[in-house]
Amino acid sequence: MAKEMLLPKDPRYLKYPLEGPFDQEKARWIAFNCSRCSVCKWVNSWQVKSARYARICPQHTRYMFDSHSGQGKCDLALSIIDGKMKWGDDPEIKDILFRCTMCGGCDAMDKNIRDAELVKLYRWMRTEYIKDQGILPEQKPLVDSLKQYDNVWVQPRSKRNAWAKELKDLGIKDLNKEKAEVLLFVGCTYGLSQELKGTIINIAKILKANKVDFGILGDSELCCGSPPDKIGLPEEFERLATANIKRFNELGVKTVVTPCAGCYGTIRVEYDELPVKKNFEVLHVAEYIEKLIKDKKIKFKKEVPVTVTWHDPCHMGRMSRPYVPGKDILGAYEEPRNILKAIPGVELVEMERIKEYAWCCGGGGGAFTAFKDFAQWTARERLTEAKDTGASMIVTSCPWCESNLRAGGIGMEEKMEIKNLFDLMMEAL
Amino acid sequence: MTEKAKNDERHQQILNAFQAAIGVENVKDNPATVNAYFGDFLPPKMLGMTMPPEFVVLPNGTMETQAVIKICNRYKIPFIPVGSNQWSLTGSPNRPHTVIIDCKRMGAIHEIDEKNMYAVIEPLCTLAQVQAEAYKRGLYIGSPEASATASAIGGHVFQGMWGVGYRLGVAYRNILGLEWVLPNGEILRTGSFSQDADNGFWGEGPGPDLRGMLRGYAGAMGGVGMVTKMAVKLHPYPGPKVWPVEGVIPNQTSVLPEDRFKWHMVKYESLEDAVNFMYEVGKAEIAGVVQKWPTVYYIMWWSKSCEEYWTEWQKRTFQDNAKNAVGVCLWGFTSGKQLEYETRVLEDIIKETGGKPVKKEVYDMWVPHNANDWIRDTHGSRMMRASGTFLALRLQTDTLKYSIGQVKTGYKWVDKFSPPILDSDGPDWIGGYDFGHFGFGETDFPVEKNTEAIGDLMGKLMGMVKEDVTNGLENGVGPFLGGAYHQMAAPVFKYDKLLKGIKRAIDPNRVSNPPHQIDPDA
Repeated sequence: MAKEMLLPKDPRYLKYPLEGPFDQEKARWIAFNCSRCSVCKWVNSWQVKSARYARICPQHTRYMFDSHSGQGKCDLALSIIDGKMKWGDDPEIKDILFRCTMCGGCDAMDKNIRDAELVKLYRWMRTEYIKDQGILPEQKPLVDSLKQYDNVWVQPRSKRNAWAKELKDLGIKDLNKEKAEVLLFVGCTYGLSQELKGTIINIAKILKANKVDFGILGDSELCCGSPPDKIGLPEEFERLATANIKRFNELGVKTVVTPCAGCYGTIRVEYDELPVKKNFEVLHVAEYIEKLIKDKKIKFKKEVPVTVTWHDPCHMGRMSRPYVPGKDILGAYEEPRNILKAIPGVELVEMERIKEYAWCCGGGGGAFTAFKDFAQWTARERLTEAKDTGASMIVTSCPWCESNLRAGGIGMEEKMEIKNLFDLMMEAL
Repeated sequence: MTEKAKNDERHQQILNAFQAAIGVENVKDNPATVNAYFGDFLPPKMLGMTMPPEFVVLPNGTMETQAVIKICNRYKIPFIPVGSNQWSLTGSPNRPHTVIIDCKRMGAIHEIDEKNMYAVIEPLCTLAQVQAEAYKRGLYIGSPEASATASAIGGHVFQGMWGVGYRLGVAYRNILGLEWVLPNGEILRTGSFSQDADNGFWGEGPGPDLRGMLRGYAGAMGGVGMVTKMAVKLHPYPGPKVWPVEGVIPNQTSVLPEDRFKWHMVKYESLEDAVNFMYEVGKAEIAGVVQKWPTVYYIMWWSKSCEEYWTEWQKRTFQDNAKNAVGVCLWGFTSGKQLEYETRVLEDIIKETGGKPVKKEVYDMWVPHNANDWIRDTHGSRMMRASGTFLALRLQTDTLKYSIGQVKTGYKWVDKFSPPILDSDGPDWIGGYDFGHFGFGETDFPVEKNTEAIGDLMGKLMGMVKEDVTNGLENGVGPFLGGAYHQMAAPVFKYDKLLKGIKRAIDPNRVSNPPHQIDPDA
């Protein structure tokens, strides 16, 4: 008779144990099973194309000590949970936790070799740190702004719709007053930034020109909740996200489209962790427009002769799908590339680190607000990589990426044009 | 002055000395930093046998490393040099006041000499980085099964096992030049570097070959100072300039051009027959990789989740179809014609030795997903997934034939210690090196990961080492565990006197990662 197989007694090794609300036990499980293999520090070996661009983690590359890596954060979490350290024991704990851009590079590489979700662990650690040590002074204005104005930019609600007022003649639907199939969720940054509002104007024009039945929420749009989610304020996230889900459900929209990668990843994935369920699909504008191009509804009229490279925003890519152990780390990788390839005259060349192993722009996770020097250093690394492709323009579709890449590019000797995908597309229409 | 005050004052003096030598920002002693440097998936941390270092220092280059090591000697404090710090088998402090010398500021590839086929590298460079640069130039270097994220220097001064070792020999034999800060702080340059610091062309010179000092019995293990620069051999490579990958993590596949690379999976009735086949392939001097993997490796590398691991394992797909199978990758080094010739030779050998190809569906499961890991590994770290950790009972280097006995003795111990050892189907990894001139046997298995189970197993392992020694067997476990384990095991092969003599000569203050490679005072 065949011997009975000896399987692990701990059932968590037999079936994925991290589904459902995240708690300390789950945090410990992730930390305890870190083997210090260091895959969280490097691009997956099969994908390393040069010595220069072999690193995946901006924080570890910049600060070098292992405490600033995924592995180091696992060690820290384990020590804290097991009572060997306290959040207030060392001022550097703040830097270790909050300089991280929450880009998920380590997380994606780690998923190649074990079942875990490092970014969830980091979020839990930030939350616990804040409970014990308070909000970071550097992030307090952002948090106050969310509470007061429901946006991250300390701007009155009335300004949120200023861009749309410039398009009065276009007849964009106000979903507070009328129905539409599609909600264009603008996001705080595209809605409020003078520098970036041209992009949302272009997107609205493209959708309108193609007879898409869409509308906006105007002044009543709330932040998606991504910033408080990333910086460790789950209650604030829950407040905004729950309100948004209820509102979107009430509106009866079939699809929520957004041009912001941060909003996209958050609404698409993080909202699923809340008790209120979504009755709508979530698409990035790139996904929506690529379909229009594929259906031959969009016709390009002009040639734009330029060599470009595409920067994958983390929350449009590897962080934009729920994790299923053993399944591909997917994201909206191909849609923006297909749009670029469809624009006459555009030549797309790829950087070495792309898709699920893309290098972060540096602007995420609160680093853009709290640790500008590091955020901009990370951006310069990306711009250098982009320059090495021979492209003259880096194209992306995330307001944080665009802003941070621009900030990082200031003072760089070799200039690289930074452009939003839809601004480039508009040039060809 | 109290003991604590004395310690505090001494700590401050050492801190000042390090900061003066390599810069304030490159020295850390705060709890959050040192907490990240004292353990991995292996038992020592879980069992409380390791502790955080007192300092972590990041020197840049040979001179700064020398300054750090001299300070360690001045204050008689232990140091541990670490490479990419992928795992930390022997790289975790086991005594107070230890200094970790982290090489994060030494990641340059100084040179790749295409014509003379070598690379000059610093310790942080991973094998994946060196491989990427080598491929571009039609050259290659292997990587150990622990993954290409390992430091290339670390890989060469450690055990030296790698998939392509069948063709290239163990890694340390590919060292050409060394710039090496000895434990006493002296700088030793070997090979070409002894004559010309910029030339890494030749490995040996007049007099003894000092690379054996690094190799010891099972690797340097931080016990003989720190290598800050190395020239390593590269070899002609008939593959593409960029490693071919299809798909998305964790389901990537890699298929090398079939006119130059072809994997064969040949199954035998017994382990003896499988090893005989490995000998015959070696005698014919064909192929680039020849490996007999244990079935547990197939599932470890192949599965993409814990659930998939245990579900597939219970289906017995690999146990029933790949037991005693040997993987052979033929390389058309010079041409497609060579591949055709080697294929004909291999077919003859298979026929003569009674081998059978493994089922196509098993071949298709394994080869595109994982076989090329033995050329450029990216999945080795999956070994810990199934239960959080794995351990080994045999890590032995000798002849291929000797490996059979070793791994079979390993089966016995695995049975005896199960549980907490989990189901592993008689684990028996045998790798051939130097065209089969010698072999490596390792017995790896998943283990229940909790303090009680691991503590219990470690006690049993001590008993196993004792019994092996009584039977005249050196199982290779002792050198890795160090201390009492190594002391017990080393005399079996009578290398202990030589290692101790070397250690005494170059490490008078016993500061380089004691008790590794061996404790000269035991």
